[in-house]
Amino acid sequence: MKELTQKQIFDYLFNNGIENFIGVPDSTMKHFIDQGFKKNKILITTKEEEAIGIAVGMSLSQSNSLVFMQNAGFANSLSTITSLVQLYQIPIIFLIGWRGFLENDAPEHTKIGKIQPKLLQALSLQSKILTEKNWKVSCNWALKLIKEKKPCTLILKRDFLD
Amino acid sequence: MIRKEAISIVVKKIGDHPVISANGLISRDLFEVCDRNSNFYMIGSMGLASSIGLGVALKNTKKRIFVFDGDGNILMNLGSLITIGTAKPKNLVHVIFDNSSHESTGGQPTATNKIQLGKIAKSTNYRVFQVKTKNQLVNVFQKIKTIPGPIMVIVKIQKGGVTSKRINIEPTKIKNRFMNSLKK
Repeated sequence: MKELTQKQIFDYLFNNGIENFIGVPDSTMKHFIDQGFKKNKILITTKEEEAIGIAVGMSLSQSNSLVFMQNAGFANSLSTITSLVQLYQIPIIFLIGWRGFLENDAPEHTKIGKIQPKLLQALSLQSKILTEKNWKVSCNWALKLIKEKKPCTLILKRDFLD
Repeated sequence: MIRKEAISIVVKKIGDHPVISANGLISRDLFEVCDRNSNFYMIGSMGLASSIGLGVALKNTKKRIFVFDGDGNILMNLGSLITIGTAKPKNLVHVIFDNSSHESTGGQPTATNKIQLGKIAKSTNYRVFQVKTKNQLVNVFQKIKTIPGPIMVIVKIQKGGVTSKRINIEPTKIKNRFMNSLKK
């Protein structure tokens, strides 16, 4: 996704009540994170589960969070999502970078990239894929779910190779 | 001193301040000793009590936030010490009830009697206190009242005691009453 769009997505979520942006970086969303650093709103953790735990603590304090990660980190987080986020019904927006979306992405991402949609489905974690055209609609959808106290996921495709 | 005795001493010393308690016997003991709205029983997600505590501490700077952790729990999330030591919340007190074992799963050993957890915490900007007796425990909680965090209190405990009952409150109710207690 274009640099400008990623920055717009950050600004839009930040201006609409998301106060904390916590996670482990992914190159897929580099510009989103850079924009967050400019606003001094990014907290980087050592692992994705830790980020979710901190976001839960902030949510318990009435402050909304987005947790960002690569899909490798999403796989790390499955048990935390089921036994913490979903068990206590904590509203968090997950932003997940979809490595392995392109068939010729690096080999370590192939398997997780392939099963990612199934994992989300198995968890019953609602998700939408962000695109250049629909990002605002998808962000509004996520913000609405947060207001309803439900967790949800926004997916950013890794649409380039390096 | 067994865990339940230690928990009951600490709870008496900390008043109404919020507690985030680790899964397993720590939460069960706390529930039995002193159930209160300001207890957040983390019944799953092993390792994350200190992360949840950090999130609560950063958003409630006028309250002192206590994490009741176990040795098995913190060893599972040592990265949390890095993040806490970087954020340096002055209002976070991280209590480790350390029996060098996974008592909740049958008493299998952890490595805390072979390494120095206190030194690790110190190197990540915690102020560290270690106690072994009931008297020391009472005194240390008196002492830390005026000391800024992040603070770690390692409480060396013995295994044993009667297993406390499971928490019979719905997780969403645990959440709601904890959130309401934070508003006060």
